[in-house]
Amino acid sequence: MKGARLGRRWLYAPPLLFLLLVALAPAARLLLESGARFSVLADAYLRWRLLWSLAQAAATCALGTLVGVPIAWVLARTAFPGRGLVLRVLMLPFVMPTLVAGIGVLAVFGPHGLFGIDLQDTPWLLLYGNLFYNLPLVIRGAHDGFAAVPASRLAAARTLGASRFGAFVRVEWPAMLPSLASSLCLVFLFCFSGFGLALLLGGMRYATVEVEIYSLVAYELNLADASALALTALCLCGVCVLAYAWLERRLAHPVVLDPLPPAPARGWRARGALTLALAALFFFGGLPLTAVALRAVLAGASAWRVLLDAETLAALGNTLRFTVMTLALATALGVAHALAGRGRLWMRAAAFLPYVISPVCVAFGLLLLYPDLSASLGLLLAAYTLLAYPFVAKGIGAALDQMPPALGSVARTLGATPAHVLWRVTLPLLRPALRRAMAFAAASAAGEFAVTLFLSRPEWTTLTTLIYQRLGRPGAGNLDQALVLASLLMGFALLAFLLIEWPSRAVAASGD
Amino acid sequence: MKSLLSALALVLATGVAHADELRVLTHSSFDLPKPLLAEFERQAGVKLVVVKAGDAGEMLNKLILTRAHPIADVVFGIDNSLIAKALDAGVLDAYTPKAGARPSRVGLPGGVSSVDYGYVTLNYDKAWFAKNHLPLPASLDDLTRPAYRNLLVVENPATSSPGLAFLLSTVSALGEDKAFAFWARLRANGVKVSKGWDEAYYTDFSRNGGSRPIVLSYATSPAAEVFYSKVKLTESPTANLPLAGAVYRQVEGVALVKGGGERVAAGKFIDFMRSEAVQKALQTTMWMYPAVDGTPIDPAFRFGVAPSAHQTPDEATIHRKAAAWIARWTQVVLR
Amino acid sequence: MLEIIDIYKRFGERVAACGLSLSLAQGEVVALLGPSGCGKSTLLKLIAGLERPDAGVLRFDGADLSGVTPDARGFALMFQDFALFPHLDVLGNVMFGLRERRVPRAEARARANDMLDALGLDGYQARRVWTLSGGEAQRVALARALVTRPRLLLLDEPFSSLDAHLRQGLQQDFRRLLGERGVPALLVTHDRAEAFAMADRVALLCDGRIQQCATPGGLLAAPANAWVARFIGYENLLVDAVVPERAFRFGPDQPLARVEDCVPQAEGMRVRVSTPEGRFVLSLSAREAAACAGQLRAGGEIGVGIDRGALLRFGGE
Repeated sequence: MKGARLGRRWLYAPPLLFLLLVALAPAARLLLESGARFSVLADAYLRWRLLWSLAQAAATCALGTLVGVPIAWVLARTAFPGRGLVLRVLMLPFVMPTLVAGIGVLAVFGPHGLFGIDLQDTPWLLLYGNLFYNLPLVIRGAHDGFAAVPASRLAAARTLGASRFGAFVRVEWPAMLPSLASSLCLVFLFCFSGFGLALLLGGMRYATVEVEIYSLVAYELNLADASALALTALCLCGVCVLAYAWLERRLAHPVVLDPLPPAPARGWRARGALTLALAALFFFGGLPLTAVALRAVLAGASAWRVLLDAETLAALGNTLRFTVMTLALATALGVAHALAGRGRLWMRAAAFLPYVISPVCVAFGLLLLYPDLSASLGLLLAAYTLLAYPFVAKGIGAALDQMPPALGSVARTLGATPAHVLWRVTLPLLRPALRRAMAFAAASAAGEFAVTLFLSRPEWTTLTTLIYQRLGRPGAGNLDQALVLASLLMGFALLAFLLIEWPSRAVAASGD
Repeated sequence: MKSLLSALALVLATGVAHADELRVLTHSSFDLPKPLLAEFERQAGVKLVVVKAGDAGEMLNKLILTRAHPIADVVFGIDNSLIAKALDAGVLDAYTPKAGARPSRVGLPGGVSSVDYGYVTLNYDKAWFAKNHLPLPASLDDLTRPAYRNLLVVENPATSSPGLAFLLSTVSALGEDKAFAFWARLRANGVKVSKGWDEAYYTDFSRNGGSRPIVLSYATSPAAEVFYSKVKLTESPTANLPLAGAVYRQVEGVALVKGGGERVAAGKFIDFMRSEAVQKALQTTMWMYPAVDGTPIDPAFRFGVAPSAHQTPDEATIHRKAAAWIARWTQVVLR
Repeated sequence: MLEIIDIYKRFGERVAACGLSLSLAQGEVVALLGPSGCGKSTLLKLIAGLERPDAGVLRFDGADLSGVTPDARGFALMFQDFALFPHLDVLGNVMFGLRERRVPRAEARARANDMLDALGLDGYQARRVWTLSGGEAQRVALARALVTRPRLLLLDEPFSSLDAHLRQGLQQDFRRLLGERGVPALLVTHDRAEAFAMADRVALLCDGRIQQCATPGGLLAAPANAWVARFIGYENLLVDAVVPERAFRFGPDQPLARVEDCVPQAEGMRVRVSTPEGRFVLSLSAREAAACAGQLRAGGEIGVGIDRGALLRFGGE
């Protein structure tokens, strides 16, 4: 028994220490630097930036609900060939690096857009980009909500006199609401604290708070104002995360005993709805990626030769190096955190901490707190790991929750010590979840942008910053090169996505 | 586990530069002929690693933020609007050139060796004005008249050094309050603000397919137009518009980075930048005037007339006031 | 062999064990019978070493178990949901305990194959656990437990998730196998029929205390109190005794009792009557029902009497 308790302590220490040094301490330092002035809000310009950041996040939530809920309903209720595939591929935009997403959106609706419509310098570009990223979340949330409505409840409503639409409004919608609300919290958080997309798509009028913080630091070296702004953003994100955590707790995850099976589409109305839903899905989620791939393919040999450039190869090497190292650290920390957090709510909540502090604030706080370590590899990796390891911690945590506790007990009575139980039973069963979580972490590290801008040395240019540099230079040649590099990055993300979604035997058979 | 740790250590170690590399930090407009650079590498016995760090302001900020572990040994591109900030932050080391070094036409304080100078001013598209039969604006005020609505594109002073230069020259000529009143009227008259010079010149300038015939650029840009033109031209398609209050003289220099390595090679690099060969070459690669006295001006420059007067505040004033002026400008023009 | 002496255990407000004592002899199967949620599973966990008692002593073969970790006790645990390891195939599951005890692989495999054979699962070695039916899975779980030659087998409602018709067959198989190997077992269940079918002695658990522990026959013959009597199936109770079916007398010479309702059965009638002594449920055979034909409706009257000599008084005689 004592050994088990001691082992637990070993598990607690590294993640908590890491969070303290890399997340909490820099946040405190931000507080110090800003002098806890919220008076930064007295500045009309910064206030407007803040309001716009909130507004665009809220608008994305609203638009996402408007577009996403009907799509989710169609997907949940209609059986069609390839349904399983669509539900999987749905999440692809979520794994994409922000830079790829940004370039994709620019390729569709930017100055040299696909349809000739130039939305640059309008808020719609940023909103479209936000939807590209976050619509999958909304659809998934709503879909899970719809799928959990018991068929009997719907049947009861219909027999009591409700029409199809009435049943939707009075039975399905309320049942789906908690799941949707929790997704919307995340959507709001990601939109508000997003950096890459806003930098590329916001232009000067419609950039968000995070971009403003970056400008204040990089261009004006106005650390005081930047800290104050970062602090405000931090508080708002914190509120968001609290709401999300509260909703997640309330969401019971019962085993659905009686789900309504999806029915094939009959009649022109159902078929029309299905086509519309799939078209909308493609428009928001598939078009930017297709545009990147198409433009890259059509770019011509001179653009593709950039892949052989020394600069590109160096950047590629850096990306791979950083991703591998981050993956190792994030996996170790994430697994330790998940194991230590088994059954302990506060530990599980601690895994949310990196979500509260946006990447820009993390990087900036680290810069302030450890000036001697600025532009050192250790700090860069620490920041990368901070942003990647929550994926591992949450993924493994969820998988641990789903493991029946009886397995551990049986293994103990069959003669396994606690360490052996971990090694021979728990970890092997976690393998599919581990694979998924590691792929997410790898995608996050490979596509990392904000932190690299802040903390990197010029010789550590990664693929993402290289793309950003190319984008900054005018001329069709540079844009083409940027597109080629972006398609390379997209390939990596796709690979990660395949690893995430590849079904494992046990999982597939038990109907996960 | 052990192999993982040793691999980690190895990888961490490779972040540091190798011993015989000279790291030069510059802004993105740095450009010298490759043979010249190769010759320098041979003579000094070092490998040149040129790190381009964006706009000059960005570059200085990076230098300041990483001063504990400098990312370069020598920095080129600190100009008179940034020099006081750089000296104040203590990121530069003074360099005394060898005895017998040639004097400069223009200089920089604090032991920073000047390399070149240029004028930031307005350029206009001759063809556009001829086609639209519009007389050229004669003063800053004219730019705010309805006749010249939506014709001007400038750069954002927060992110672009020519943008900042223009802001400073307007304040220097008109005084602070009148200058910002001017900017407010300019905004009402439809001025376009772009992030950087590249965007303004290559995308928004009417000469390159954009919609604005007046662009904030350099006095040497007309000469560059002729130089790079595919067809042989006898006259430049653009010209300078040196309105009073719209000319700023920018002096660029090269300096040692405090805490950097390779001191000997860095000093050699500074001498190299002031050598006759480089002073001649940079005129047609970076399109600036040579700072070293006695260097012949390249014949290509005859297509762009150097302005006779300029309205440039002194370095100390710039250092004191620039941040506040930029903030106010942002509020007045962008909000 | 197993002695549980005066165990106390509570979780917050719930009392799982309150001065509980029980003992198990060599080769004996004892069933722990009680309503759901009365702490039976907790008791098993205490015995297995997965929980520590608040007070009390656990001994096996005279040795105190308090310092012994679960992996060293040699008690095998079987669960209602079988708890097979999904990442191992059937053979891997059965071999798990042997590998933990450092049995060489070849020998472990041989023993595992033998055990699977004994349970009629030959050929299942490479099957994945989620492809097994309920009965097969439970057999694999038993094989996994028995192959390690445990000193004691602890079963937590092992059949409650199986269909009724499977249950009986498995119960008989288990009984036989346990008997053959002489493994003592403690079976926890809420199903009276299961307990009576499988166990040598049945202990009734209520509110953390053993109400009575006796052979099934002994329980039926002499229940200790009203609660025990009801739990083992007696419906008709007086304040101090059980009225077994054979204690009822019918006939016109008996005192009249009012019929409240009657439900026809396959072979007879179930009648609820109200007498001065109380309300009783009677099972009338077809012949007895025919004798009272006219009165077998709500509000009718039949003669029902009680033979005091045939009563089962609480606390035994």
